[in-house]
Amino acid sequence: MELLDPHSSLILDEYRTRLPMYNELQDKIESMLRDELAKNELEVTAVETRVKTEKSLVGKLKLKGQKYASLSDITDILGARIITYYTDDVDRIAAMTERMFDIDWDDSVDKRRLHQLDSFGYNSLHYVCRLPESALAAPEMQKFRGIRFELQLRTTLQHAWAAINHDTGYKTGIEIPREYLRQMNRLAGMLELADDEFSRIRTEINDYRRRVQQLVQNGKLDDVMLDGETFKSYFDIRPLDALNKRIAAINQAEIQEVPLMGYMPVFVAFGCKTLGDVDRLIKKYSIDAYRLARHQLGNTGIDIISSAVGLQNICIVCIVHQGGGKIGLRRLFNALNGENSNNEMLAEITYQQAAELINAKER
Amino acid sequence: MKTTIEVSDSRLTAFFSGRLDTAAAAQTSEDVRPLLEATNKEIVLDCTELEYISSSGLRIFLSIRKEAAQKNNKVIIKNINADIRQVFAMTGFISLFDIQ
Repeated sequence: MELLDPHSSLILDEYRTRLPMYNELQDKIESMLRDELAKNELEVTAVETRVKTEKSLVGKLKLKGQKYASLSDITDILGARIITYYTDDVDRIAAMTERMFDIDWDDSVDKRRLHQLDSFGYNSLHYVCRLPESALAAPEMQKFRGIRFELQLRTTLQHAWAAINHDTGYKTGIEIPREYLRQMNRLAGMLELADDEFSRIRTEINDYRRRVQQLVQNGKLDDVMLDGETFKSYFDIRPLDALNKRIAAINQAEIQEVPLMGYMPVFVAFGCKTLGDVDRLIKKYSIDAYRLARHQLGNTGIDIISSAVGLQNICIVCIVHQGGGKIGLRRLFNALNGENSNNEMLAEITYQQAAELINAKER
Repeated sequence: MKTTIEVSDSRLTAFFSGRLDTAAAAQTSEDVRPLLEATNKEIVLDCTELEYISSSGLRIFLSIRKEAAQKNNKVIIKNINADIRQVFAMTGFISLFDIQ
């Protein structure tokens, strides 16, 4: 191995002495970041930390060892990286980390702002940080006073670009041959656009959710097309509570909440296009759904039911009313519980019960 | 009512035999305790020899499912007879469980 100059060798010795402290700080920083992200309900792709390896440090010292007076001048001995899903989240997490750490603004770089109007490339936010005094009060924390570390914030797409760019072996944009530089920059521009589009889509989805909630709350159900999002919003107004409570009263049963999303494809199969269609169907068949429940549960003494029982019975009576017969009911149970040959027998029994009730009413 | 639990690397199988009614519920709750403590496992409730289930039995199955969801376990109910399948259906729990 090529020998380091005496000055760089001293820095390397200092690194070897302080390595356990850096390892300890690494764990501390990672757990602080994870806790704070969770507290702020910020979901990210990854939180990564690393302490620079001796090999990497030696490489750096060979290149520019004279630039550093001591190990403390090298800010990336400990590095942390947070990779976000969305570009908006980089700013939110930047604000979060500014609250958590003391930022060394002179050495921190927002590479997103360095680009000229006509250039693209590696966009990322680099902060050089220290633990704040408030985190150093305990005696075991004193050793971290003044220790700087780097924190990178970037999106998943920025990370992919940077990782692949790094894999080319060129550390800076200057070294890379011009023809490849142009191709890498074209990709960076495309990914920047994609990042912006993902953020825009997220904002629009959130706006859509709010709009749907508003329409549902205001009862404008015919204005809301049926999809997974709107189906969920519809049940947030608890349109089945009255029916379920009435069914529960048959045996003084408790009602266990269960998810209802599995019923959405059933309502699509019924031809429902809007939440108005779903609502009309529920209202139309509620009485028969209750009668079916009374017939089934009335002499059982079962005192626990799920919050899906009303909806399930509405689907059953709807199928029987519409002439779907046993095959329709078997399809319903297959949709709710997966394909199973035993569902045929269940469909047969349920059909007899429901058809009997419906025919009795019509007579 | 008898409950036997078989443990393998990735799976816990509970074999239920007899009538899971109110009288048997307290003992069965004790017997299935290992299922509630498992993590990252597949939990199979083998009902081949289960003749009957009451509300108390349903509550036991629900508590196993609830605990499993929190501990990243998957619950599968196997070989229930027609009467018990109907109990799951008429109470609206059929869509909640993976019943094979």
